[in-house]
Order: sequence, then structure tokens, then C-alpha cells
Amino acid sequence: MTHQTHAYHMVNPSPWPLTGALSAFLLTSGLIMWFHFYYTLLLATGLLASAMTMFQWWRDVVREGTYQGHHTPPVQKGLRYGMVLFIISEIFFFAGFFWAFYHSSLAPTPQTGGHWPPTGILPLNPMEVPLLNTAVLLASGVTITWAHHSLMEANRKESAQALLMTIALGAYFTYLQMSEYSETSFTISDGIYGSTFFMATGFHGLHVIIGTTFLATCYIRQQMYHFTSSHHFGFEAAAWYWHFVDVVWLFLYISIYWWGS
Amino acid sequence: MAAAVGSRLSRLLGWSRPQLGRPMSSAAHSGEGSARMWKILTFFVALPGVGVSMLNVYLKSQKEHERPEFVAYPHLRIRTKPFPWGDGNHTLFHNSHVNPLPTGYEDE
Repeated sequence: MTHQTHAYHMVNPSPWPLTGALSAFLLTSGLIMWFHFYYTLLLATGLLASAMTMFQWWRDVVREGTYQGHHTPPVQKGLRYGMVLFIISEIFFFAGFFWAFYHSSLAPTPQTGGHWPPTGILPLNPMEVPLLNTAVLLASGVTITWAHHSLMEANRKESAQALLMTIALGAYFTYLQMSEYSETSFTISDGIYGSTFFMATGFHGLHVIIGTTFLATCYIRQQMYHFTSSHHFGFEAAAWYWHFVDVVWLFLYISIYWWGS
Repeated sequence: MAAAVGSRLSRLLGWSRPQLGRPMSSAAHSGEGSARMWKILTFFVALPGVGVSMLNVYLKSQKEHERPEFVAYPHLRIRTKPFPWGDGNHTLFHNSHVNPLPTGYEDE
């Protein structure tokens, strides 16, 4: 028998899981070397190794799916389950930071003044830049839906335009948050308020950057004719991830920025 | 069991879906003109909303903010370990105009 008689994908041996694991080790030990001994080489090597792993692994997935036809309907179903499970794991990741925030803010200790926000903390006005950030992300949710429907209706020009607008809005959010970080009167070292604020919003910002990168990859692939009007799971995965990032922001805005002020 | 729950959920939500997997189908048909609806929402709701919020921020930023007086609270400006950059005493997004060091504002 020279060809498979089933619809599944028996993936060829690949070095990327190993390089991924090694880069994770370099990243963790690199952080320790940096924090405790001010030595950055391990961390830099780990960042380079993990970036290369991600690029090459995902490049291979695109090759297997788009160019070699391995992504049959049952294979795609498995990829869908995978993305859903990954996003669920990310929800749990953020749940931890929200737990920390609520644990400290629902029962403020006497050491910080017995109220929330603690004494000496001037929180950001939720009706200024945070509100703009909310409008930006909600708008990006609309534009990405427009992009998806345009893609399904085989409208190349509009799906590219809408995707570009989504990326621009994501970049604008990142720019606004970075300028907010420079303008806050409180810092990460300002007790439990600073810790919970910057850990939660910081990791969210990192996820916005990751999501924007994912969308940009989709834009490049779209320009290279990788997607069809009925088969574009990479785009759908990026859209799911982007909506997740938007929803996390809404929880952040309501909990930390609004209720927490 | 999942199918039973799924169909109960469908009935609860008033959707007539034949099976639970339907909305995730890659061959999900885009309703005629639904891209046009999202395009209209983009240009008439979403982007104007962003514009109004931008205007709001611009107007609010016109007011000069006075910075609060420095009080050396023990629960703020914590330095149990130096930061692994610079002199170890400045946060990553340090702004000397609004962020005092544990000893006070740098420009006073």
C-alpha cells in the first residue's frame, strides 16, 4: 500500500517539540540567572530559540494543511478542539489573576488603610483612556467579524481591508496602554494594588500583542491565497483568540478599572 | 449525553439547530449580505464610537493634573529586592514627574 486509506494526519517526525522544550528550559533558567545574577545570555538564547521553534513549527503546519492537503474535515475538527481547549486553559490562567485581585480588594487589610483602593493610590479614571481602550477593542471585534463574513463571501478586497483595520485597532490599543503605563502615578511596586493591576493588565497586554501578531500572520496568508471561502481555520482560530482577548479586557475594565476605583 | 445537553440547550435558546456541531462547521454559510451588515456596523457604530471616545480623552486631557504630595507610606514603593535593570530602584515604566522613589520625587 503506497497511500493512506483513512482521513487522518499521521504527522512526520519533527524536531520542533524538542527545541520547544529546550527553549522553555532556557527561558526559565534564563529568568533565574537574570533576576538573581544579572546574567542575560541564557534568557536571550531562550527567547531566540522559542521564537524560532514557533516560526518553524507553525510554518510546517501551514505547509501540511495548505500545500499538502492533510487538513481533511476530521483533522480540522481536531484542530478546532485543540484551539478551544487552549483558549479554555488561558481562561484559567487569567482566572488566577482575577482571584488575586478580588481576594485583596474584597477584604482590604488594615495595613493598606482598610479600604480599596489603598491609601495613597490614585486610580486611573475609568471614563478616560480605559473607556477609549474598551471602544477600540469592541470595534476590533466588529471589524474582525466583517473580515470573516467577507472572507466567506469570497470578497478579497474587503476581507483584507477589514483585517487590516482589526490589526490597526489592536496596535492602537497597545500604544494607548503603553502610554497609560507611563502616566500612572502608581507602579508595580506599590503594594498589592500595583501588583494585581500590572500583573492582570500586563498579561492581557501581552495577549493583545500575541493576538495582533496572529492576525498579521493571517493577513499575510490571505494575501498569499492560502484561504478559501469555506476553508480558513487559521483565520477562525485567530478570530476566536481575538474575541477571547476582548472579553478578558471587558472583565478587567469592569473589575479593576471601574469597580476597583 | 453531550448531544442531549446540546439539544436541550438549543431548545432553551430557541434555536432550531439539527446538531450541536453546526455553528463550528467550516462550511458555515455566510448569510446573503451579512458581510455588508458588519461593514455598516463598522463604519456607522464601531469606528464612530472610537472617535467619540478619542474626543472625550482629548477634552479631558486639557485639564492640568496636580500631582499629589509625597507621603512615605510603608505599604507603597516596596523594594524588598532591587529591579534587575538600571540602578535597581526604578520601575520599568518609570516617569519621574508622577512616580516618586521610596525617598520622594526625584525632581524635588
